[in-house]
Amino acid sequence: MRNSLATSTAIHALILGWGLFSLSGPQTLDAGVVETLPVDIVPISEMTQIQQGERTAPLAESASPEPTEERAPEPDAQNIGNNTVDLDTPPTPDARPEAVEEAAAPAAAEEPQPVPTPEPEPEPEPVEAAEPEPAPEPEPEPVEPAPSEMAALPEPQAIEEPAEANEPLPESETPEAVAPSEPENAVPENVPTPMARPEPPRPEPEPEPEPERPEPEPQQPTQAAEASSAKESEFDADEIAALLNQEQASGGGQRQSEDQAALGGRTTTGGESLSQSEIDALRAQIQRCWSIIPGMADGADVRVRVSMRLSPDGSIDGQPSVSASGGSQAAQNALSGGALRAVLRCAPYQLPAEKYATWSDVVVNFDPSQMF
Amino acid sequence: MEQVGLAATSDVTLWSLFMEAGFVVKLVMIGLLAASVWTWAIIVDKTMAFGRARRRLDNFEEVFWSGQSLEELYRTLSEQKTTGMASIFVAAMREWKKSFERGARTPMGLQARIEKAMDVTLARESESLEARLGSLATIGSSAPFIGLFGTVIGIMTSFQAIAGSQSTNLAVVAPGIAEALLATAMGLLAAIPAVIAYNKLTGDVGKLTGRMEGFADEFSAILSRQIDEKLQPRAAAE
Repeated sequence: MRNSLATSTAIHALILGWGLFSLSGPQTLDAGVVETLPVDIVPISEMTQIQQGERTAPLAESASPEPTEERAPEPDAQNIGNNTVDLDTPPTPDARPEAVEEAAAPAAAEEPQPVPTPEPEPEPEPVEAAEPEPAPEPEPEPVEPAPSEMAALPEPQAIEEPAEANEPLPESETPEAVAPSEPENAVPENVPTPMARPEPPRPEPEPEPEPERPEPEPQQPTQAAEASSAKESEFDADEIAALLNQEQASGGGQRQSEDQAALGGRTTTGGESLSQSEIDALRAQIQRCWSIIPGMADGADVRVRVSMRLSPDGSIDGQPSVSASGGSQAAQNALSGGALRAVLRCAPYQLPAEKYATWSDVVVNFDPSQMF
Repeated sequence: MEQVGLAATSDVTLWSLFMEAGFVVKLVMIGLLAASVWTWAIIVDKTMAFGRARRRLDNFEEVFWSGQSLEELYRTLSEQKTTGMASIFVAAMREWKKSFERGARTPMGLQARIEKAMDVTLARESESLEARLGSLATIGSSAPFIGLFGTVIGIMTSFQAIAGSQSTNLAVVAPGIAEALLATAMGLLAAIPAVIAYNKLTGDVGKLTGRMEGFADEFSAILSRQIDEKLQPRAAAE
């Protein structure tokens, strides 16, 4: 027994000694320094609610459109922008200058047309016939190399005619008319050969009647010419353009913006919703007009849903759509009719105008279960 | 102050745990350690003793059934210290010899005496085999409770210390509880081997005593036959 006791003691001492020196406690859990993550509960309205700002600007704490240039304060302006007038449409980049030049060039080309127009008054037939001719002529002529030079001549003439030809006409009747007609005559001479159409004869009559016209006109030589020129200038596309409103249709507003540009939408949307009291107010307005036939069989199970579109003044826009569920068909019909009448009878609803976006479409759920 | 003292024991080693414990808990732990030592001492002792006893039983049975003269066997065995079957054999032979030296009168009395002597020896032998197994049972059943007592005391004191420290930080609470739980751990450490060893050793004791009882019965049958053979002619002569 003594031996075994010694053995046991020795084994215990051995194990304890090993435990004391080599089993130096469990490794401490490596918790590490973890910074607490701040968790915010973000309501969905923050995603749907877009503040007016600049779409390309970097994100900032509060959205803001580009700062506007300083200008005389316009207290009534509603839309932010650099425009001189307050327009609802968003600003667009300036029209390309090329487009403007292109617009001016055709205007000049049209000049010959107004010139003949006074001429046709006396004799519409020849003039009208003459007008289209010069225009088509250049087109076919270029195809033929030889007449191309000839064709080039009439064009400048036609352009110059309105300014020069008309004035000289009264002064020198035939000679001048002949003088200009010489090239024209030359043209027809050449033209008939390539073209089968009787174009040459038509230009010829032109000079003949023209002198006749001027003949009476010479009595009012310069004035009539000036008047005609004045009329021409009135129709001048340049002047028309000048008379046009130069304001850009899409110019932005005039309201001032001082903050740095920051990311945001074009307009402030979804930022508002009807408050509970406003919803209650709408409910009260509808309930006032809602009457129920008392004692209707199984009317308590019916649910009526009326969706209507409201115009900004609170009146109903279009026909409200009604849908009913539950209960018997008769009760559904009766109650949906009553709900529709109630909605229509109270029609101009008093709602905050500035939140029109939120109540432009209203869905009213009628629950008659509490009414019986 | 308490907080500082508790927080300083971040290095939770066995020794620091023991030294941090209170007086009662220390006492409990020392007692449990002693119990563990005692348990293992008994286990080692008994295992070796039973092995020895089993070997001797085998040897004796071999010798006994080898056809050797019982007188010779008795002469050799009675001169040395005997255990197990040998002592039963020696006790029976001694009673036999004594009875015949003084002239046995009745075979029934002789048979009864021999069996009594063998029973006494058997009881003594089995008692020596079972010695200290009771303490194993005691340790196995009570050590967990003793350890639990130490744990409860330790947790009580550590909670009092926490209440004084005005802090519920786990770093403050943990060392005291760990130290208290050490007492339960030691109780279980002592109890589990004790219970296992007790069950094993009692089974061994049962087997060994069973073998010895079987031998005693066989030997008593042999002696009974001898008695009949020796007394029958004398009775016939008379």
